[in-house]
Amino acid sequence: MPPRSLFAKLWDAHVVEELPGGNALVFMDLVVAHEITTPPGALAIEKQFGDKLFDPRRIVAMIDHVAPAKDGATALQAQTVRTWAKRHGIAFHDIGDNGICHVIVPERGYVTPGMTVCCGDSHTCTLGAFGTFSLGIGSTAQGGAMLAGCLVLRRPKVMRVHVTGQLGNGATAKDLALTVIATIGFRGGTGHVLEYTGEAIDALTMEQRMTLCNMAIEAGATTGLVAADATTADYLARTPLTPTGWIAERADPGARYDAEVTIDAARIRPMVSWGTNPGECAAVDGFVPHDAAAESLAYMDLRPGQALAELAMDQAFIGSCTNARISDLRAAAEVFRGRRVAIPTIVTPGSQAVRRQAEREGLHDIFQDAGALWTHSSCGPCLGMSMGVLAPGMRCISSSNRNFPGRMGDGGRVHLAAPAVVAASAILGRIAAPAELTREAVLA
Amino acid sequence: MIISGDVLAIERANIDTDQIIPARHLTRLDDTGMGEHCFAGLSGGAALLASRPNARILVTGENFGCGSSREHAAWALVQRGFRAVIAPSFARIFEENAYNNGLVPITLPQDVVDVLARADQMDINVSAETLRVAESATITYTLDPLRKAFILGGGYLPFLASKIDAIRAWQAAR
Repeated sequence: MPPRSLFAKLWDAHVVEELPGGNALVFMDLVVAHEITTPPGALAIEKQFGDKLFDPRRIVAMIDHVAPAKDGATALQAQTVRTWAKRHGIAFHDIGDNGICHVIVPERGYVTPGMTVCCGDSHTCTLGAFGTFSLGIGSTAQGGAMLAGCLVLRRPKVMRVHVTGQLGNGATAKDLALTVIATIGFRGGTGHVLEYTGEAIDALTMEQRMTLCNMAIEAGATTGLVAADATTADYLARTPLTPTGWIAERADPGARYDAEVTIDAARIRPMVSWGTNPGECAAVDGFVPHDAAAESLAYMDLRPGQALAELAMDQAFIGSCTNARISDLRAAAEVFRGRRVAIPTIVTPGSQAVRRQAEREGLHDIFQDAGALWTHSSCGPCLGMSMGVLAPGMRCISSSNRNFPGRMGDGGRVHLAAPAVVAASAILGRIAAPAELTREAVLA
Repeated sequence: MIISGDVLAIERANIDTDQIIPARHLTRLDDTGMGEHCFAGLSGGAALLASRPNARILVTGENFGCGSSREHAAWALVQRGFRAVIAPSFARIFEENAYNNGLVPITLPQDVVDVLARADQMDINVSAETLRVAESATITYTLDPLRKAFILGGGYLPFLASKIDAIRAWQAAR
């Protein structure tokens, strides 16, 4: 057998049957089910297939998007998943014990290297950080995985994203993720899995790898993927389920890839998006490019050459499946400590476990002393559903993953950045890197 | 299977699923009631739809349906009357969702799409993988043969249901 990529190994180990058109029946070790996209598939199985699931032990469910429910409709979604999970004996995380699916699933130890995971949620690629093939799908496909244990997938190509050097200059995994998208393009990953390699990737913590893989979908990629190593083992050993018995696969030396790109981590600096997709980003102390798309400029009310640091913000949001884990909150708290926010600021932990850990460390006091709102866990305003939705024209600096038109509310304008940049911007009321605050303190 | 009817052209790239149906409308238990929210997040969306009230074929830009996995985007388009979407490229999840809901995703080069965007009406032969605009020559395209069968035949879930025994056998031998 020729040397294989890590993805090829995961794929080959899960193909049940090759199908026409380059498709395959691919076995799913785990199906993650949340309240927004699960009910249609679950109800279809109930109506058409006698409510029979392939294996309820291979499903984990939770309330995450609107937690707790904001109205009767979302309460019915939650109640539907709740009663369905109980009826089938499915592991279920209800409000109080819940979190965003891409945060809680790894944090509890449900994923192990070598697994395949799917969920009716595009950011399921997050779990690729654990050396798993994890991908977002529609509700019907999720229903199929719950009914038959498999997805029908066309075999994706594999793009190796090799990241040399080390992150420095205050740059984080978020800035690396944005740099990858800007490098290969907003749709540059379409039809591909991004297999991350290199010393910069090896040096990332699991939480940083999750942030990186989380945004693979923002380049159109099927998923992101990082080989498991000692860092992975150490993380899993600290989870409540402490999974064991998994084998860490790596790409074979000399494995062939369909595409390769190399990025120098040392050149990356804190980034912020200016446009209407995550690939439209620049350094925090940079400028709106002169070749910016007219539609993006019009929606964001910007002009070419404008300094990003002069952009006044109306709201700041630290949260989402991208950047709301404990290390993200610590990074933000470092910036907030002893300072006051200038604009409405919402800090939403990625899970209730993250919330409790943050409170044990006193981070909640730092946020609230700074004047920020400290909430329970939810997807919140990231997708414009609840807890901080924007009004038309409002500009929000956000640690989330999508700056699409209307994403956080009709007419709202989103600037994506790492948690520390969001915190610094909240304090100055405009886009700012944390280093600016340090300089101000010295000058004062 | 023939799809004939009015064409609506929205010549923009990267129309994401939040623009096709914003998250505030994702609060139903099943796949109904989405049609009225079609393109509710797209700037000028309501006027575009009103300009072609009987449109059955959407011609649009590359990377259509990017972003969120919400199948609601496919449901909204189907319930608004669309039977086919023609674009230079689709996001993976949207394309899968389209096939699973009988919405035919047709990929053609940008220059061909540019010409089709000026069409008033179109005839699409799904079975033969061809389409025609007025007196023009026949244009051919390629569909995923398996997923095309989902559209013309029994659909995605029945196909998977037919595989359960084989999947259990594979699992037992794993």
